[in-house]
Amino acid sequence: MTAAVVTKAPVVAAPAKRARNPYVQGLLTPRGITGLIVVGLVVLLGLAAPLLTSYAPTFQTSNALLQPSGEHPLGTDEIGRDLWSRVLFGIRTDLIVVVSAVPLGALAGCLLALVSVASRWADVLVQRLFDVVLAFPGLILGLTVTAVLGAGTSTVIVVIAVVEAPAFGRMLRGAILSHREREYALAARVGGAGPARLLVRHILPNAADPLVVQIAVSLSIAVIVEGAMSFIGIGVRPPEPSLGSIVSGSVMHLQDHPIYAIGPLVAISAFVLGLNLLAEALNKGVRR
Amino acid sequence: MTVTIDKPAEVRAAIPLLAAHDLRVVFDSARGPVHAVRGVDLDLAAGEMLGIVGESGSGKSTTALALARMLPPAGRITGGSVLLDGDTDLVAASEAALTGVRGRRIGMVFQDPMTSLNPLLTVRRQLDEALRAHGFGDRGARRARSIELLELVGIPGARLRGYPHQFSGGMRQRVMIALALANRPDVLIADEPTTALDPTVQAQILELLDTLRRELGTAVLLITHNMGVVAERCDRVAVMYGGRVVEQGPVAEVLSAPRHPYTAGLLRAVPRLDTPAGTRLAGIPGTPPDLALPVLGCAFANRCTAAVDRCRTEQPDLAPVTDTARTACWVPSTEASAHPLEPIVRRAPDPTSPVLEVSGVSKTFRSRGRPAVSALTDVDLVLYPGETLGVVGESGSGKSTLARAIVGIHKPDRGVIRVAGKGRLAREVQMVFQDPYASLNPRMTVGDIVADPLHAQHIGTPLERRARVLELLERVGLDPAVASRFPRDFSGGQRQRIGIARALAPAPSVLICDEAVSALDVSVQAQVVNLLAELQADLGLALLFIAHDLAVVRSISHRIVVLREGRVVETGPADDLVAHPQDPYTKALLAAVPSPVPAAMRAAEAA
Ligand SMILES: Nc1ncnc2c1ncn2[C@@H]1O[C@H](COP(=O)(O)OP(=O)(O)O)[C@@H](O)[C@H]1O
Ligand code: SF4
Ligand SMILES: [Mg+2]
Repeated sequence: MTAAVVTKAPVVAAPAKRARNPYVQGLLTPRGITGLIVVGLVVLLGLAAPLLTSYAPTFQTSNALLQPSGEHPLGTDEIGRDLWSRVLFGIRTDLIVVVSAVPLGALAGCLLALVSVASRWADVLVQRLFDVVLAFPGLILGLTVTAVLGAGTSTVIVVIAVVEAPAFGRMLRGAILSHREREYALAARVGGAGPARLLVRHILPNAADPLVVQIAVSLSIAVIVEGAMSFIGIGVRPPEPSLGSIVSGSVMHLQDHPIYAIGPLVAISAFVLGLNLLAEALNKGVRR
Repeated sequence: MTVTIDKPAEVRAAIPLLAAHDLRVVFDSARGPVHAVRGVDLDLAAGEMLGIVGESGSGKSTTALALARMLPPAGRITGGSVLLDGDTDLVAASEAALTGVRGRRIGMVFQDPMTSLNPLLTVRRQLDEALRAHGFGDRGARRARSIELLELVGIPGARLRGYPHQFSGGMRQRVMIALALANRPDVLIADEPTTALDPTVQAQILELLDTLRRELGTAVLLITHNMGVVAERCDRVAVMYGGRVVEQGPVAEVLSAPRHPYTAGLLRAVPRLDTPAGTRLAGIPGTPPDLALPVLGCAFANRCTAAVDRCRTEQPDLAPVTDTARTACWVPSTEASAHPLEPIVRRAPDPTSPVLEVSGVSKTFRSRGRPAVSALTDVDLVLYPGETLGVVGESGSGKSTLARAIVGIHKPDRGVIRVAGKGRLAREVQMVFQDPYASLNPRMTVGDIVADPLHAQHIGTPLERRARVLELLERVGLDPAVASRFPRDFSGGQRQRIGIARALAPAPSVLICDEAVSALDVSVQAQVVNLLAELQADLGLALLFIAHDLAVVRSISHRIVVLREGRVVETGPADDLVAHPQDPYTKALLAAVPSPVPAAMRAAEAA
C-alpha cells in the first residue's frame, strides 16, 4: 500500500552532543563552578584536617591567646589550643552534623509528603504538623528539643532535621500534585498503571528535581543553625570544636584578639556562600 | 467585488512605512549559534494588512520581534536594516530612540495575552501607564482615552477596573490590542493573536483588526499559521521557510497560483470544507532544516519534489515572477498547480453492535470558592467497530471531559459508559493526548514509553513486549532504532506518533484522540491524520476523534457530534452535517472556519 510510504516520518535528527543532565548543565556555569570550588575547598579542609595540622584540636599548649605565627597559623585560644586545628576539626564536626541531619530531614519530609498525597485525611494532619514546626522560631525549637534530649551533637542533628523536614515535604507534595495532572501521568493511568506504579515509575522521577536544589539550600541553613545553637551553648559540647562553638568562645576576646573570630567566620561564610551558589546553579539547570 | 484594488494601501504605497532588508538574526544556544532569520525582505505600507505564514520555527516570531528590536537577550540582529518611514534605520537606532518608536509608532500583540498583561494591575492602570510612558495628557485625559480605547476594541468602558484574570481569552486579547493601540501606532505587529482562541472569537478579533486598519489606517503585520485567515483578511502575504521569505505577493495571487513548491505544499495540507469528505490531506514529507547547522542552497531542497541540482548548492533569492509577486525558487511553477484529490482509505463501519455506548452521562465539577461547572449534561453517543466519530465544539464545551470520562480518569455523576469486550477498560480503550510535549514522560526512553501499557497490564513476556514495541514504532512510521532515545530528541509530529504507538500497544478496540493533531503544523497535521485514518482502516479500530477544527474533523470522520456547553446539539453523517447543518450553533461554527481560497477567486469560480 502506498499510503504507508507517504506518511512515513523522517528519521529523527541526530541527538545533540551536549550533556543533557540538567544538574550537570546547571553546575557547568560560572556560578556553579565557583560554588563547586568554594564548597569543595571547605570540604577538603575538613576531610584532610589530620594531615594539615600537627595539633589535636583539644590539646592545650601552655600559651593562651597567641598571635598567628608559623607554629600556630591562626594563633591560639584562651586555654592555649591551636585555632587552625580547631577550625579544621570544627569544619569536620559541622560536616558530620549537616550531612547526617539534612538527609534525615529530607527523608522525614518526603515520607510525610507521600503519606499526605495518599489520603485527604493524612494530608490535613501533615500540613498542620508542618505549620506548627514552621511557626516556631528555629532557636525556640532548638531550646525545646534540647530541654527534652539534653545538649549535644545528636540534638543538633535532630533539631536541624525537624527544621528542614517541612521544606522538603511541602516541595515534594506540591510537585507530586502538579505532576499528577500532567498529560504523561494521565497517559500512564489510561495505560492501566495503578497508583504505586504511577508514583514510582512516572511521577517521582520527574517530581524529585526541585529536591536536589532544596538539599543545597538546606545544607547552608543547617550550617547556620549549628552555628547558632553552638553559639548560645546548646549545640556541640565542649571541648569538641564546631564552627559555632569557636565563634562563641571568641566573643569575649573580640577586642584584644580579633583573629580568633575570623577563622571560623570565614569558614562558615565560605561554606554558606558556596552552597547558595550551588543551589542557584542547580535551580537554573532544572528550570531550563 | 475584488479584494485588492480599493485598498488605501495601493494609493500611498510609494515609500513603505516599514521595510526590512536582508534582516538577519542569530540566537546563542547550547548547541551553538542558531540562524533563526537568514536575510528577510519585507515591506509594509500604511493601511495595509500583510500576513506572514510558515511552519513553526520558520522565523516568523523572531522576525516580528526583530522589527521592533525586542529580541530576548539570547538573540541579536547580525545584519540588514529595518527602515521606518524610509529613513530611520531601527537596527542602528539608539535604545532611547527605540523607546520612542515602540508603542508610539509600532504596537505589538502576542499570542498569549496573559503573559503580556500584568496580572496584578487593573486594566485601567495598565492603559494609564502605557499612555503616560509617552507623555499623554493629564490624568483626566488619560482616563477618557482609556475608556475610548476599550470601547474601540468592543469592551464596555465600565470594565476598566477589572483585572486581566476577570476577562475571557478573547476579551484579554482585546485588552492587549487596546494597549498596543494606546498611543495610536502606525504599525501593529500581531503574532498569532487568535491562535489560542475559538473560531467564533477568532473571527471577532480579526474583524476588529480589519476595522482598525480601515478606520484608523493602521498597518497590520499579521503572523498566523492559518491560511484561511490570510485568505480572508490580508492584502498581501509573505511565506516564510527556514528563516527566509520564500514567496511574497498579493493574497489572491499567491494562494490561488502559488509559484513556490513550499507554498503549494502548505496549501494542499490545509483541510478544507469544500472538498469531498474523506479527501486525503497531503502532508509535506520531511522536516524543516535545523538552523543550528549551515544551510547550503535552498533550505527546502530535501523536501522538494521539484528540486534540481542547482537547488542543493545555490540559495535562490526573492525574484519577481509577475508584476506583483516575488518567489525564491530556481524553478518556480508557472501555472496553478492543481493536485488530484485522493480519497482517504476508509472502511465502512460495522453497525451491528456498538463497541462504545455513552448514555445519559453528566459531570459537574465543583471546587471551593467557584460556581459549579456542568461540563457534561445528558450526553449520549454510540461508536461502532471500524467507525470514526468526530466530536467538535469550542473550548469549554466538554470535549476533554467526555474523553476522560470514557477512559476512566473522571467518574461521571450520572449515566453509563459501556465498553464491549470483557477485558479491563485499559485493554479496550486507549487515548492519544493533545500536547506532544507534555504527554510523554521525559525520563523514559521511547521504547519504555510505548511498552508502558504492556508493563502496567502485565501483557506478554519481556521478549514479546520488545518485539511489539519495534513493530508498533514501525507501524506509526518511525525507525524502530529510536526505541532507545528520549522524547526530547523528537519533533512535535514525531512525538504524536510515539503517543499513538503507546496507545496501540495493548491492541485496544477504541482509540480516543483528544485534540491529537491540534498542536501540529498543517503539513505535519496532515501526515498524522492520514496515519490515523490508515490505522483505523487496517486495524478496524473505532476512533473517537476530538478537535475544535471542523475541517480536520470532517476529513477523517464518518459521523460528527457537535457539543455545546456540555450538551450534544447535533449529530449526523459528516457530509450531511457540513452541507446541511440544522442547529444554529453548528452553522455558526461552520461559518467561522476561514477558507484558504481567497474570496476573489471564489467569486470568480462562482461566476
Ligand atoms: N530564545 C531563543 N533561543 C534560541 N533559539 C531560538 C529562540 N527563539 C527562537 N529560536 C529559534 O529560532 C528559530 C525561529 O523561531 P521562531 O521565530 O519562533 O519561528 P516561528 O515564529 O515561525 O515559529 C527556531 O529554530 C527557534 O528554535
Ligand atoms: S529552489 Fe529548488 S529546492 Fe528550492 S523550492 Fe525551488 S525547486 Fe524546490
Ligand atoms: Mg511563533
